[in-house]
Amino acid sequence: MKLQNRLSGPTKVQIPMVPMIDIVFLLLIFFMLNLKIVSPEGNFNINLPISAPTAAAAELTPPEIKVSMVSDRQGNLIQLTLGSKNLGNDEMAFEQLNKEILKIIGRPGNPLAKDIEVEIDADYETQYKYVVKAISKCTGRLDPGSKQVARYVEKIKFAPPHKPKA
Amino acid sequence: MKMRKIEMGAMEPDMTPMIDIVFQLLTFFMIAISFESTKADERVKLPVDTLAKPPVVKPEHELVLNFGYQRHPSGERRKSRPEVFYNERYVDVYDIAPELEQEKRVMERVHGQNIIKDVTVLIRADSEIPMGLVQELIRKCQDAGFSKFSLRATSEEA
Repeated sequence: MKLQNRLSGPTKVQIPMVPMIDIVFLLLIFFMLNLKIVSPEGNFNINLPISAPTAAAAELTPPEIKVSMVSDRQGNLIQLTLGSKNLGNDEMAFEQLNKEILKIIGRPGNPLAKDIEVEIDADYETQYKYVVKAISKCTGRLDPGSKQVARYVEKIKFAPPHKPKA
Repeated sequence: MKMRKIEMGAMEPDMTPMIDIVFQLLTFFMIAISFESTKADERVKLPVDTLAKPPVVKPEHELVLNFGYQRHPSGERRKSRPEVFYNERYVDVYDIAPELEQEKRVMERVHGQNIIKDVTVLIRADSEIPMGLVQELIRKCQDAGFSKFSLRATSEEA
């Protein structure tokens, strides 16, 4: 009689919550401790047809745009030139480079400009950050309003390395 | 009388809102976490650029080369020359060829003979490294047979 009573009566089933909460808290702490806040990394989405060491091949197809970077022994940028035009060595120089590249390709994403190649010729000592900046300015511009990237040049190559300054 | 009866029973705090919040937090951290950047070496201070965008398609095969300076905790350089951080060792650029050969052999054994053409070398170079040495590293990789390169930078929010 007793048994029947227990089974038939509408009893509230109690799910044991405590073990689940324990596990959930453990998981939470695990994920919190593993979280590393790092800013995302990226590349420039460019072709890097790094020039073959053969001089003959380089002579056959002269690059249309040449960006040169001269630096002092500590690697600080002294002069940025586009072709034969001296652009200076500060932030404005890179902005100027960006504008000049846009002038050459006409408009962003121009299909006619697809084959244009920029050759970057940097001194041995030039710090990598300046080269990356120049690459960035050649490959495009971030539209401040829409946050979209307007693509300029997709092919970047490096000139054969220079000898270090004695 | 009724009041007293309630007081006598065991107090059960309502757990549901707390569990809701805890699950939300759990979901947030699970999504925010990225196990992928394990190969990214924090000792390398990458150059920062607004145009550096995380690639849409991740290359199938990649070799990450961290190239930077050994630094004191204060940030000063321990050595004047940068080195490649390769498996907890420091290797000079000019001595990297055997390591690259080894990487190549391992990849060929695992993925087949012609895999080397499809491997992208991710170069994570410190922002202050002379360009000549970065080019030297690229040349060493080319000598070993690698042909695809990608230069990494930290993307900066504009």
